[in-house]
Amino acid sequence: MDCGGVRALINRYIDGELGYVEIAELQQHLDFCPDCSLELRELGDLRGVLAAWGEIRLAPPMGFADRVMAAVEREPLPGAPRSLAEVVDEALERLDRALGRMPLPGGRTIPVKNVIGWGLAVAAVVIGLERRHGREESEVRVP
Amino acid sequence: MTSSNRQDWRLPADPSPAELARAAAGDRDAFGLIVERYETLVYSVAYNVLGNRLDAEDAAQDAFLCCYRSLPQYRSEASFSTWLFRLALTTAIDSRRRERRRPEPAEMPDIADERSTGPGMGVDAATIMRALGDLPEDYRTPTVLRDLYGLPYQEIAELTGRPLGTVKVMVHRGRASLRLRLRAAGEA
Repeated sequence: MDCGGVRALINRYIDGELGYVEIAELQQHLDFCPDCSLELRELGDLRGVLAAWGEIRLAPPMGFADRVMAAVEREPLPGAPRSLAEVVDEALERLDRALGRMPLPGGRTIPVKNVIGWGLAVAAVVIGLERRHGREESEVRVP
Repeated sequence: MTSSNRQDWRLPADPSPAELARAAAGDRDAFGLIVERYETLVYSVAYNVLGNRLDAEDAAQDAFLCCYRSLPQYRSEASFSTWLFRLALTTAIDSRRRERRRPEPAEMPDIADERSTGPGMGVDAATIMRALGDLPEDYRTPTVLRDLYGLPYQEIAELTGRPLGTVKVMVHRGRASLRLRLRAAGEA
């Protein structure tokens, strides 16, 4: 196995996804490849550093809790009836989250929800135009 | 959705059922205590996902507002801390998807616990914050969810709305990029 193939195995090893046979193959390669051995050791250390960092608490900016509570003061009581606009807004947010985004050229992405919305809008315009065209044709035919 | 247990042991102790009930009934003082207890957790999650102080502050505030609105729906099957942790994660990820990134001031947040110096292993806090902040966004979020918070790949795919294979590739690339960045920082 070459170093390129081993790199993929190293990540899967770190994630605990390798079976016995693949671990044996990886070990065989590591025994004679110092570069891949170093990569495994450094990636293992990196995971330790990142896991430790995930436990560290960062201090929010001064006055953060006060700003949150000022925003809470402007909120209706929890469980209070909400306006139609708020309900629609939340439903759209959920739809957005469920559908995700689709890639565009240049590495950008676009919400799938928007693509579907535009598709429906275009379809509605096309159907409207066709119906109007059909009505005009029937008016021409019928004296 | 599957869930990871790794984060459970390092979350703050839950508020009492009575405190939660008061906050859910609209007692703002009771909710204020929840904000004080969890502000560093929620802000840290937002900062690590977004890599940007201003967006992190907005996302953390949104998470608390969402928590306030949703408290009546909270059921104690999951611990409150785990529930709020998830809420902070999803709010930060949604915020990232709305692409609200704003110009970032140069300074980085301080560590809340003064006894803690950093992640250890010879890496200081500024180095790891800079390395994570410099990662492309597509790599940072999955890598943060996987390696900082221990979420399973399948759950990351669901949260980010990306295919499982893509998420794995992004985490692998994120790790490779971080490894090079930390090594370069160590050699500087």
